Amino acid sequence: MARWVPFPEKQENGVTITHVPSRTAPQVRSTGFVARPGPVLVLIGLGAVAVVALWWRDTSAVVGAAGWLTNAGRITGLLAGYAMAVLIALMARVPALEHGVGTDRLTRWHAMGGRYVVGLMTAHVLSVIWGYAITDGQHVTDEAVTMVVTFPEMWEATAACLLLLGIGAISARAARRRIGYETWYLLHFYTYVAAYLAFGHQLATGAEFAGDRAAQVAWYVLYLGVAALVAWYRLLAPVRLFLRHRLRVAAVTAEAPGVISIQVTGRRLERLRAEPGQFFRWRFLAKGLWWSANPYSLSAPPGAGGLRITVKALGDHSATLAGLRPGTRIFAEGPYGAFTGRLRSRRQVLLIAGGVGITPLRALFESLPGELTLLYRARREADLVFRQELEDIAVARGANLHYSTGPRGPGGPFDAAVLAQVVPGLRDHDVYVCGPAEMTRAAIRALRAAGVPRRHIHHESFEF
Amino acid sequence: MPIRRALLAVLATAVGLVLLLSFKPHDVSQAAQPPAALAQKQSGTTPAQGSTPAQGTTPAQGTTVTGDPADTRWGPVQVAITVSGGKIADVQVLQAPDGNRRDIEINDAALPILTQEALSAQSAQIDTVSGATYTSEGYTRSLQSAIDRAGL
Repeated sequence: MARWVPFPEKQENGVTITHVPSRTAPQVRSTGFVARPGPVLVLIGLGAVAVVALWWRDTSAVVGAAGWLTNAGRITGLLAGYAMAVLIALMARVPALEHGVGTDRLTRWHAMGGRYVVGLMTAHVLSVIWGYAITDGQHVTDEAVTMVVTFPEMWEATAACLLLLGIGAISARAARRRIGYETWYLLHFYTYVAAYLAFGHQLATGAEFAGDRAAQVAWYVLYLGVAALVAWYRLLAPVRLFLRHRLRVAAVTAEAPGVISIQVTGRRLERLRAEPGQFFRWRFLAKGLWWSANPYSLSAPPGAGGLRITVKALGDHSATLAGLRPGTRIFAEGPYGAFTGRLRSRRQVLLIAGGVGITPLRALFESLPGELTLLYRARREADLVFRQELEDIAVARGANLHYSTGPRGPGGPFDAAVLAQVVPGLRDHDVYVCGPAEMTRAAIRALRAAGVPRRHIHHESFEF
Repeated sequence: MPIRRALLAVLATAVGLVLLLSFKPHDVSQAAQPPAALAQKQSGTTPAQGSTPAQGTTPAQGTTVTGDPADTRWGPVQVAITVSGGKIADVQVLQAPDGNRRDIEINDAALPILTQEALSAQSAQIDTVSGATYTSEGYTRSLQSAIDRAGL
């Protein structure tokens, strides 16, 4: 059984360092509005109810097999059209959502919702065609052709349907790592085209919208509103950040084998309102790097003096970063992420870091108020980065720090009894976990078994 | 776990859908809508046969008011109403889209339903017929103009 080694290890005279009163770094608090996951889900649900109400109000009876099929097609179609707008809104990088719900959770919702939309759309297409075919006494294929050829806006809708099916298939392949992340990412933009193409037939053929000004206006508001969010937060806000703050690389330093830190400077950085625990998407305007934007967490509390990120060479991109020259301009988007001091509601805080997951926790370890304990897990001793910094912080603020090294897999240090022993009063802690998915799961299981309530366990995955 | 969640989502959606649909009336007699009116199709222009016994059986005695033609994506729709005793006793379709086979099929099915709806509602506030959205819209507009003109 692997174990946790405390810092400092037993002193020679048998005395451990006494706890000095907590000195907390100045808090960077952004004052913006944040939307928590619960209320966001309720709002999305209410929207769905309103959309079903459109159908309910417009339908007087469901008669016969044709009626059942056609109406099932209408409801699924309406819901698919609604969900499509919601899914795009979730990915629009709206700060209230990014800071309140968190990017990793938004991404999970989006992925789940995406599959659901493809399912709804398929159900919609099949049941409407079938229902109309029964009404008209036609064969389904003839009916399908008639609908595509003669109904208004149906060519566009057919194209949208094929696009969405294609994107769905590509995402499934991407999940199985058969195609590259970049390819998947770029093809995903066709979702916008699909939403645009599908919009026409919703109003032109949707019985719920015919002659109903209010419903039409509501639908336009939904789609134009989402388009405005995308245009502002995905296109214009990053450009504004670029022009306003003029971020540049100040220095690149090696931290450990394959791990580098990048110091970033710029103008009026305090107005970025970045918080410890958050990340930016970084696009370095240098040869071979400018075309991809990658998310990296701030590895130190952001201040007017500069930002710092720390990157492990996991792929080609992060390996190339080591060659960045000071002065390179940066096109960054952010700050994003809900993994901040806002989540804390108790005085005692436990941070659990795995590997490069230390980066946001390193920033939180310095800046969170309260009594802190950091458990830092890595495969080998050499992979532990920031040792000096972490130990300095631990001494300066009287925080507890424990390391554990060893291979992945069973027999790791995440065990309810072990954690309870290393962290006295574990149940009364807020816990932040950041690390590889496997480790995060093991840590959460152990914490739950040790009696830490779910709402006090906060985790962020850096693999999205 | 994700598989179980996906199955759950599919199941919940299907159950919700069936429940929603089942709450609506399924009996033709309860609904002032489709097949009841379709049954009248063969009766052609003879108005309101049987189903609206309250109306005068001799609509020819009433005055006929023609509505404005209402343009739709597929062509104009124009109706005329026969007013008798301050009520709409009959609706005649003067023109409807007939540009292709599909239009004719749709309108053969939809127009009698719309007429039936108009007669029972005694107004242009009637439900759209599924699959014939444009015709329904044009019909309603032309009917409304005729009603306005007749001062009903």
